[in-house]
Amino acid sequence: MRPERKSPAAPLGGGLSRRAFVESLCGGLGALSLADALQTPVAAANALGPTGPHFAPKAKHVVFLFMTGGPSQVDLLDPKPALLQYEGRRPDSADLRTERMTGGLLPSPFAFKARGQSGIEVSELLPRTAEIVDDLCVIRSMFTFNPTHTPARNLIHSGNIASTRPTLGSWVSYGLGSENRNLPGFVALCDSPNRKSLWRSGFLPAEHQGAHFNHTETDPKKMIRYLTNDELGPQAQREQLDLLKTFNSRHLAATGPDAFLESRIAAMETAYRMQFEAMDAFDVRKEPQKIREEYGDTPFGNGCLLARRLVERGVRYVHLFSGPGQPWDDHKDINENLIKRCPAMDRGAAALVRDLKRNGLLDETLVVWGGEFGRTPVSEAGDGRDHNPYGFTMWLAGGGMKSGVCHGATDEFGFQAVENRVDVHDLHATILHLLGLDHERLTYRYAGRDFRLTDVHGRVLKELMV
Amino acid sequence: MSRPVFAAVCFALLAAGVSPAQDERIAFFEKKIRPALEEHCLACHSAKLAEPMGGLRLDSREAVLRGGANGPALVAGKPEQSLIVKALGYKEPTLKMPPTGKLPDRVIEDFRYWIARGASDPRAGEPRERAAQPSGPGTPIEEGRSWWAFQPLREYAAPQTRRLGWSRRKIDAFVLAKLEENGLQPSPEVDRRTLIRRVSFDLTGLKPTYEEVELFAADESPDAYAKLIERLLASPRYGERWGRHWLDVARWAEDHPTRESTNQPHPYAWRYRDWVIEAFNADIPYDRFIRMQFAADLMPGFEPDQMRALGYIGNAPMYHKDPRLSRDVIETIAGDDWDERVDAVSRGLLGLTVACARCHDHKFDPITNKDYHALAGVFASLWLVKRPIVAMDPQAADKLVWDHERLVRRSGELGNLKELDTIAEEVHPKIAQLRQETEKLKERLRADDTPMTHAVIDCGVWIDGNTPTVTWMDLRPGEARDLPVFIRGNVANPGEIVPRRFLTVLSKGEPEPFRNGSGRLELADKIVGEAAPLTARVWVNRVWGWHFGGHLARTPSDFGTQGQAPTHPRLLDDLAARFVDNGWSLKWLHREIMLSAAYRQAGRWNEAAFKADPTNRLLWRVTPRRLDIESWRDAILQTSGELDLTMGGPSTDIEQETAARRTVYTKISRAAAHPILELYDFPDAKQHTPQRQATTTPLQQLFLLNSRWMRKQAASLAAKADGAPGIVEKTRALYRRTLNRDPSPEEIDLAARFVELTRGESERDGWTELAQVLLGTNEFIFLN
Repeated sequence: MRPERKSPAAPLGGGLSRRAFVESLCGGLGALSLADALQTPVAAANALGPTGPHFAPKAKHVVFLFMTGGPSQVDLLDPKPALLQYEGRRPDSADLRTERMTGGLLPSPFAFKARGQSGIEVSELLPRTAEIVDDLCVIRSMFTFNPTHTPARNLIHSGNIASTRPTLGSWVSYGLGSENRNLPGFVALCDSPNRKSLWRSGFLPAEHQGAHFNHTETDPKKMIRYLTNDELGPQAQREQLDLLKTFNSRHLAATGPDAFLESRIAAMETAYRMQFEAMDAFDVRKEPQKIREEYGDTPFGNGCLLARRLVERGVRYVHLFSGPGQPWDDHKDINENLIKRCPAMDRGAAALVRDLKRNGLLDETLVVWGGEFGRTPVSEAGDGRDHNPYGFTMWLAGGGMKSGVCHGATDEFGFQAVENRVDVHDLHATILHLLGLDHERLTYRYAGRDFRLTDVHGRVLKELMV
Repeated sequence: MSRPVFAAVCFALLAAGVSPAQDERIAFFEKKIRPALEEHCLACHSAKLAEPMGGLRLDSREAVLRGGANGPALVAGKPEQSLIVKALGYKEPTLKMPPTGKLPDRVIEDFRYWIARGASDPRAGEPRERAAQPSGPGTPIEEGRSWWAFQPLREYAAPQTRRLGWSRRKIDAFVLAKLEENGLQPSPEVDRRTLIRRVSFDLTGLKPTYEEVELFAADESPDAYAKLIERLLASPRYGERWGRHWLDVARWAEDHPTRESTNQPHPYAWRYRDWVIEAFNADIPYDRFIRMQFAADLMPGFEPDQMRALGYIGNAPMYHKDPRLSRDVIETIAGDDWDERVDAVSRGLLGLTVACARCHDHKFDPITNKDYHALAGVFASLWLVKRPIVAMDPQAADKLVWDHERLVRRSGELGNLKELDTIAEEVHPKIAQLRQETEKLKERLRADDTPMTHAVIDCGVWIDGNTPTVTWMDLRPGEARDLPVFIRGNVANPGEIVPRRFLTVLSKGEPEPFRNGSGRLELADKIVGEAAPLTARVWVNRVWGWHFGGHLARTPSDFGTQGQAPTHPRLLDDLAARFVDNGWSLKWLHREIMLSAAYRQAGRWNEAAFKADPTNRLLWRVTPRRLDIESWRDAILQTSGELDLTMGGPSTDIEQETAARRTVYTKISRAAAHPILELYDFPDAKQHTPQRQATTTPLQQLFLLNSRWMRKQAASLAAKADGAPGIVEKTRALYRRTLNRDPSPEEIDLAARFVELTRGESERDGWTELAQVLLGTNEFIFLN
């Protein structure tokens, strides 16, 4: 049985809070800067602590399912029958600057059908998403301006094409802190540490950086570096730590009180316990077989399940990367690729929404699905699709968003968002708003001025909220 | 989605604190009036302009009521008498606003309604107004020049103190006077064993040996301490330590935030790192050190290997400029590159946040949007290239530089074009041409073994968007590019062209345009010339911070009105003045600081002083701190006997378990994660970082407990004690190596019991485990 949701203070058997183990994996919580420890003046201390919420939040958590590479809207969630009608032709509207040369219109071979009560049309590639479509708010009118992966990814993660600004998750962590002092506010699940800049905290204090774990491993030992000692058993290590603690306590007594010395002694103990406790929280293998099957035993499915385990234990923001690399970047053989790739994603994403709902967590957890851009309705190399930032689809579920709603539209072929256009800053403003944060007030003073996630932009999509 | 892009960030931000829902009238303002003001009025009528049009500002309630040259902008409750309504009405021949055309009647009606209902405006007392400082918003440059940090340097007489006999150097009088003013006393002098450890880590990033500690502790000659400092300053280890501090300021790294065809990693970036280390060891005067990094090649007496100094900008982060993107996008990306240089130079060297003025005049400091573009123009007039570091015929050198550059560019372009399966006709011939060219270049460069370094060359950078599908970089060697003011940061909206020149507020009178090439040498000359007082203050403050772990002015990269003023302004001024007088010699500055009584204080906690000044701003002690990653890792290697002191050359990878060189020689990447460095707060080199943090996290401890590297060091350390006959001797040997002291009898007892216990329970002999414990102690990682 899955454990019930524990209140933050609920202790586990050994007097250790259920959530105590992850104390600042990667400088998350408990990452005490020396200056902080020495009682920085109030102003500076405020800069480190949570600033919000500014008003009553609808959502407490976010799970962002990031479709690395840019999934094709016209094959998944934005049906365009006109593509078939004008197959191979190149309308004037195709003359948008994308990354590569493109040819004529490429119809989607996948059938769309109106699904659920809401009747939102979903591609046959996503049968399970179709089953939960009444829980989704589908936005078909997303757009950005940069057709290259890295800047476009920076844009959707941080509101700017440069790789220096804080990411959405770190703003959330900065704005709200962790729900529980024993957990990091922001967890990034990615198969590679080299996407690091997508969970960076930029100029925000380092404790708001995403704590990264490789979810393609199911064994926590492999997921968290240096988690276990391959030479010393727990008993021998305990003795080592006892001696260290004795030495450090004597040193502390001789030096006089010092917050840094004390916090390091505490961190050492947490690290020791973490070795055992993390084994539980990060271990999706402890879920009942039925649940594991529902999510699918795939990297993405396990990532979704892990996201639920973390959210349930108080993590604010989980960012799950669909991998490896940038799978949705279908420049070639798109149809075949989608047939192979969609099932695992479809299963995991749908299971997450369904499972959260079943556990009463969907109301307070916002799930966001989407990539850095969409793909062109015209073909690249005959059977692929190029990057298309001018119009693409994302969906949101739970967390105070309306459900069973389809918002906005692209033009008749799916090139550009034309109706109720939504840009990245609007998305960010909306996510923050659901969490009780005013995107214009969530600011950080750096290098001489106040910065915002949304810079001078952003409109909260109030019309899409419950 | 129309939104007022120009609504300056700060403006929208500062509107915080209002709760629109509480007041319907404010809600009306927020919904109707504010957006209209932002979209149509504030571009000309706000404090972000040094001189708002007609003296009128509409960006706060007070400003609106105060009005401009024609009087108050409105009379609350009386729309018909309000100037703003008249202007919007477009009926008065001399008063029609906005000048771009009459607004829709609906909007004018909103203004009428708003004023009739009392003109509720929540924008009262916004911080911008409160921030009215000597060089606050909107104040003319002339007033801005009176800001403390821009004043000429002067020496001050040492202040009188009640306590006599404590001061050793001039610094001390300033410190003591301040302590006394606050009813505090300095801490007693630190013991000699602690002092030599502090000084060694401080100057060389390494710890002393047990023997060195004992010798120093026993040396009673009056100049023992001064001699110690001289010995350490003369050690090549000194440059490795202090050069690394500079590399933080210079945000040095060996690649770019991403790795695409137009921003490939820099294979010779280490040559700049080596030059920096050599420069510190040679105590090159700081003003010359700066000038060389902008323009060593243009200075008299130039030696070819000084080309390495140009890596300061030559290794700056670059963003990928994908030729498939449109002209405007590429211009923006190039603009981000220039912005990065403006930011690194202005915050790093001048302690000014000039990059804040990219889209509008600086909100708080006397830096205009034009100033920004005048500086950015210097960087738009140079290009990052590889250059030879040996003497060569100038023409041959030039050819080599551009062949290298062409190969990089052309390979990138070719790679991009080859990806296109359906080739547009206009790029066809280009491909064949590119292929031929790259092959030839490769051949030629393969045969060339001239050592190169990453530098800059004067070369105007334009963006060529004339081919519909491809955007080319238009590089014009020898030409310079004065940038237009990109209005509100938008490259598609260029305004007046601004000649390349220095910041107005730091110039005497109107700044002269730069005339030679990009103007990089002139810029450097200004930084250490007209701006010398500021530059020296900023540098002395940084050096102070590295010595004490806390700065005199606690925002080391912001000496503007938003920064923190120094705690000891006269001390900072006096020290900076004497630093300049002493030929900008860093080693002089080290001596002056380290020989002081203030620096020699103990780090002990003191309840009364801690209560009065918890962050030790007044220097009642030397704040103890955690070793940074370089010192900590190097000290472990030193203790285990594994440390490899080979200097210079290509970098090594810290992730390799066998890596045993000093941490300064680690490969530094902007693109790839460095888990170990990151774990210990190493700064991200994507942009200038003002100062390092020191966090303590459980993950750091996991590294210590479980990493193979740590176990390996512990095993090597334990093996060093193998020769000792018994438990007592072995323990003593380990203590001496690790903590530079003998263990107490209790410590020997604890160690003996631990070794025995570990042996009883496992196959291990216990000494490696004990060694690991000693390396993990707070005593080891803590600098007191």
